[in-house]
Amino acid sequence: MAVTLNASTSSGFIQTADTSGELNLQSNGTTKLSVLSTGVSGTLVQGTAVASTSGTSIDFTSIPSWVKRVTVMFNLVSTSGTSNILIQIGSGSITTSGYSSSASFVTSVVSSATSTAGLLVTAALAGISETNGNIMLCLQNNNTWVNSGTVSIVPSTGTQFCGGVSPTLGGALDRVRITTVNGTDTFDAGSINIQYEG
Amino acid sequence: MTHRIVVDLATGTTTQVEYTAEEQAAYDAAVAAQAEAPAEVSAETPAEPTVEPTEGV
Repeated sequence: MAVTLNASTSSGFIQTADTSGELNLQSNGTTKLSVLSTGVSGTLVQGTAVASTSGTSIDFTSIPSWVKRVTVMFNLVSTSGTSNILIQIGSGSITTSGYSSSASFVTSVVSSATSTAGLLVTAALAGISETNGNIMLCLQNNNTWVNSGTVSIVPSTGTQFCGGVSPTLGGALDRVRITTVNGTDTFDAGSINIQYEG
Repeated sequence: MTHRIVVDLATGTTTQVEYTAEEQAAYDAAVAAQAEAPAEVSAETPAEPTVEPTEGV
């Protein structure tokens, strides 16, 4: 038997005579969570990819309050200058201070940078460079988030590593901003997306 | 006008939000300050390489 709750029917309930043993939970007819014989699925939500081809920042808003992990994904992201890429988070508004963050660019040597204005993604950018990879943000405790990740920079041959912690937000995280340290460089190529899960 | 991109995950809509007059003024001031002091190194500017590569054994 398979059972679907809150289905797009007047009764909100569908019972199917089979041997799958599935339990599906829906909202407005869209399955949000499935309990299957192979495990629980549906808790990872893919955001909406956006072209990072203009603007000084890209905000992802309306992140659900139940989210405990957010992954920010960079695909050939480029900016107009050399200011490092920065992630800021918030609850109701973007928090712009109180972070403890560092990043290192590792080639044959190591270049490092730190920031209290956000979570650094990169430690060194050339004028023409494209950032690829992902950064994971995890709810550490009590609305405090930690991050780590690795991105590659094209055409450089090195890798950028980063890690940091946010200040304690005033409530559940509901937005993520991708910007630059100086706040004035603009995005001019690539795309950015997020995934989130609870 | 300078702008930011906002993606609303609840609706899936992407919008271009223009800076307010105050935000634009702050942006212009920041750009002007950078132009006047191009050689100034900020605290968040990447430091010079600090670790030399290790020779193989």
